[in-house]
Amino acid sequence: MPGDHRRIRGPEESQPPQLYAADEDEAPAARDPTRLRPVYARAGLLSQAKGSAYLEAGGTKVLCAVSGPRQAEGSERGGGPAGAGGEAPAALRGRLLCDFRRAPFAGRRRRAPPGGGEERELALALQEALEPAVRLGRYPRAQLEVSALLLEDGGSALAAALTAAALALADAGVEMYDLVVGCGLSRTPEPAPTWLLDPTRLEEERAAAGLTVALMPVLNQVAGLLGSGEGGPPESWAEAVRLGLEGCQRLYPVLQQCLVRAARRRGAAAPS
Amino acid sequence: MAPPVRYCIPGERLCNLEEGSPGSGTYTRHGYIFSSLAGCLTKSSENGALPVISVMRETESQLLPDVGTIVTCKVSSINSRFAKVHILYVGSTPLKNSFRGTIRKEDVRATEKDKISLGDAQSNYLLTTAENELGVVVAHSESGVQMVPISWCEMQCPKTHTKEFRKVARVQPEFLQT
Repeated sequence: MPGDHRRIRGPEESQPPQLYAADEDEAPAARDPTRLRPVYARAGLLSQAKGSAYLEAGGTKVLCAVSGPRQAEGSERGGGPAGAGGEAPAALRGRLLCDFRRAPFAGRRRRAPPGGGEERELALALQEALEPAVRLGRYPRAQLEVSALLLEDGGSALAAALTAAALALADAGVEMYDLVVGCGLSRTPEPAPTWLLDPTRLEEERAAAGLTVALMPVLNQVAGLLGSGEGGPPESWAEAVRLGLEGCQRLYPVLQQCLVRAARRRGAAAPS
Repeated sequence: MAPPVRYCIPGERLCNLEEGSPGSGTYTRHGYIFSSLAGCLTKSSENGALPVISVMRETESQLLPDVGTIVTCKVSSINSRFAKVHILYVGSTPLKNSFRGTIRKEDVRATEKDKISLGDAQSNYLLTTAENELGVVVAHSESGVQMVPISWCEMQCPKTHTKEFRKVARVQPEFLQT
């Protein structure tokens, strides 16, 4: 009816809303599949923890702290093989307890702290990768606690946490055979699957498969491997592992400098 | 001017086994010495023998009671078979986290040991006071006053003059601080 003042009428024509939506999810521009994002690493920043490290790679920020060694809980385990030939039973080796936590503001949407199985799986992966590097035989009946806090997830979070945890352990004065360097990879989906080193969060979300490799650079031994996603030919996975190992080796000098700087800072602060 | 300090990180290859012998904070592999800690490299040049290469950290962080070390502990509970203690000091450095230990009845004296049973592996540290210079250093009598040792097996309370049996330690003079 002409002159209808009670209804609010919309425009005569209408367009689809996608025209006006901010296009933030652009397809990532083609990039060199072997590029590593510049890394900022700093050790010895927390005064309360025995050892600590902060690692930033692109948008991923991880803070890791180490405490211990303290008396292992799990008392009075009734005898393993009692002293056969003077060899220390496995119960006398030290233990490494790892904890991986994602801050509620780490991702796009707020996630409440008990993050379910994913955090536990990553904590177990951390422990498996760090154990070969730490000389647990030197800490009998003691346990070392490593806690990693992911402040922002910008891609390859587990790799960054691994590297930060190794730096924190070295900073805490825990005896280690070697550092552990982590590197993340992801494979682009079907048309032309290629493995990308050090993916960003967007690349990880669109990936068909992901892989995290942990390497001990000087000993040249793989400390941990965690992969997930769609299967593929084994050669493709082998190539991914090789790419990851190369990436880890390239990252090593930065971490070396970081630890030397932290040792120098500690030496200057406490003149003995 | 002090010579520039060389810092090293865990896993860094330091030198050949022919050029030095491994000290604390290092490990050997394939004929080379590698560092095991992030700290400063020190070479102690000995006369005749190979220099000992070790990595030092300023704060002595590996403070775990080791076999053969003398520790100072506080008794937390006593049983007819053993006493449970908290290990507070290792040597002369205090521990940040106290460890638990056990002194079994048979380990108190060097003589008159009773038979022990094998196969009881515990995850506590086993301590012994079976030497002359090991044993009780500080004790309080039932009235709460600190007691004075009068012989190797008796201590006397200065207030009530009652004597109580303790295995007293003959502490070496270098450990006593006045």
